[in-house]
Amino acid sequence: MSRGDPGAPSDTDSRRAADAQGVALGYEPPGDDRGDGRVWIPAGGSHRVGGLGMYQKARLLAAVLERGPERRAIARRATSPERRAKLVLLGAELDRLEPAGRAALRARVAFLPAGGGLLSNLNAWENIVLPLGFHYPKRLQGAAAQVHGLLTELGVDPDILLPKLPERMSPYEKKLTGYVRILMEKPELLLVDDLPSGLDPAEQAQVTGFPAVYLAICPGGTFVQLDGTSEV
Amino acid sequence: MIGVYREFEGCMRLLGHVLRRIQVLALPPVAESLTRQIYFTGASATTGIVLRGAFIGTLIIAYVIDVLEANSALAVKILIWVVLREVGPLIAAVLVIQRSGTAIATELALMQISGEVTSLRRMRVDPHDYLVVPRVVGVALSTAALTFYVQVIAVGGGMLLSALTINVSLGELANDFFLLASPLDFVYSVIKSLLFGVAIAVICCYHGLHPLGTSINAVPKAAINAVTQSTLIVMLLNVVFAYLVFGQAFFGLVTAKV
Repeated sequence: MSRGDPGAPSDTDSRRAADAQGVALGYEPPGDDRGDGRVWIPAGGSHRVGGLGMYQKARLLAAVLERGPERRAIARRATSPERRAKLVLLGAELDRLEPAGRAALRARVAFLPAGGGLLSNLNAWENIVLPLGFHYPKRLQGAAAQVHGLLTELGVDPDILLPKLPERMSPYEKKLTGYVRILMEKPELLLVDDLPSGLDPAEQAQVTGFPAVYLAICPGGTFVQLDGTSEV
Repeated sequence: MIGVYREFEGCMRLLGHVLRRIQVLALPPVAESLTRQIYFTGASATTGIVLRGAFIGTLIIAYVIDVLEANSALAVKILIWVVLREVGPLIAAVLVIQRSGTAIATELALMQISGEVTSLRRMRVDPHDYLVVPRVVGVALSTAALTFYVQVIAVGGGMLLSALTINVSLGELANDFFLLASPLDFVYSVIKSLLFGVAIAVICCYHGLHPLGTSINAVPKAAINAVTQSTLIVMLLNVVFAYLVFGQAFFGLVTAKV
């Protein structure tokens, strides 16, 4: 496993574009706190980012998944390039893309929150196929066999887990359901929040196999674990 | 005042979204959500409505015949005016607000507070597509179906019970009904009930998705706001609709003849 490189590149635009090549996730926070919360992850393999505080992590996730540094055009224009947050996803700098391009890029990124991010009124199966039904309805036909295979590979009986509502699941089962849901979409960049949190030691040992399963399904993908620890 | 405008604008935006994105109903998860909504709002509410509808029909006929000393033709005429045009859609709307309106506002507020709406966004699923569109369509269709159900039960049950309790034959009442009822009454009530359903669902979805805070206390507040505002809007729509469609007849009815 490698770790997010705290020494980020770039000052000039050309250098920033060149630096974005081969980078799965690059983030430099805006303003004066550039040295804090900077993340630079090369493409491919499994990586771990430690030392992010809760605020820094939330800001990074908001930038990657929701709005990013480019959200408000007026604010962006009013801010000098040096003071803007920089976000590189899968080799492209988001600030340089049109909204459609940014959306397309974000469609290749997925995030697994610590609690699995499940909807409480859907059972495990419905949670797993929900995004598939929206984005790839044609894939639904073969989804049952795939989900059964994945769950079996991860050591869970699909017939027991799939009909369960989240309220009846253990923290591990929730995490696993959320993980399988993401694997079905085959994202090129997967961010995972605090993978071992809330799990007992036996379950923690089981989740260490998650990156290998992801990389087997998405060869060339990038698995990034965001730790909530103070480790740097 | 600003708050009222913001809520009105928010509801109109939601309604616009539903009209623009109605095609998402073809997606499997949304279609399933629509089916659930119709089952919950329409199918499972029918049992509770039978007795209410029949009692109201009987009450109107008995009241008109006994107090106004009217003949059966006038009783049926009033039954048509009151039940088909006004009380049927209103009873269905009140029932939908009581059952589904509160459920929608509470469920969505809880989803918002617990971060499930954010989870949807992070799955690149538009919460309005998944949560609002099927609810609005489902509630509108269910309200129309419930209205028809109330009308049939209230008119049919009312006439049946009246025939047993009042000195008027069922044949006489039925004959008067088919002579006096017009297709316009049914079209009017169906359109009105669809409008009621849309208004209820949009208002309840809006308050559910915009709870006043992030604590659990915001959930009952969202439900209260949803119920009070949707009741008010349903009453307002009822008056406006009645004026637009039957204004002439309405004012004709209340003008005293000298």
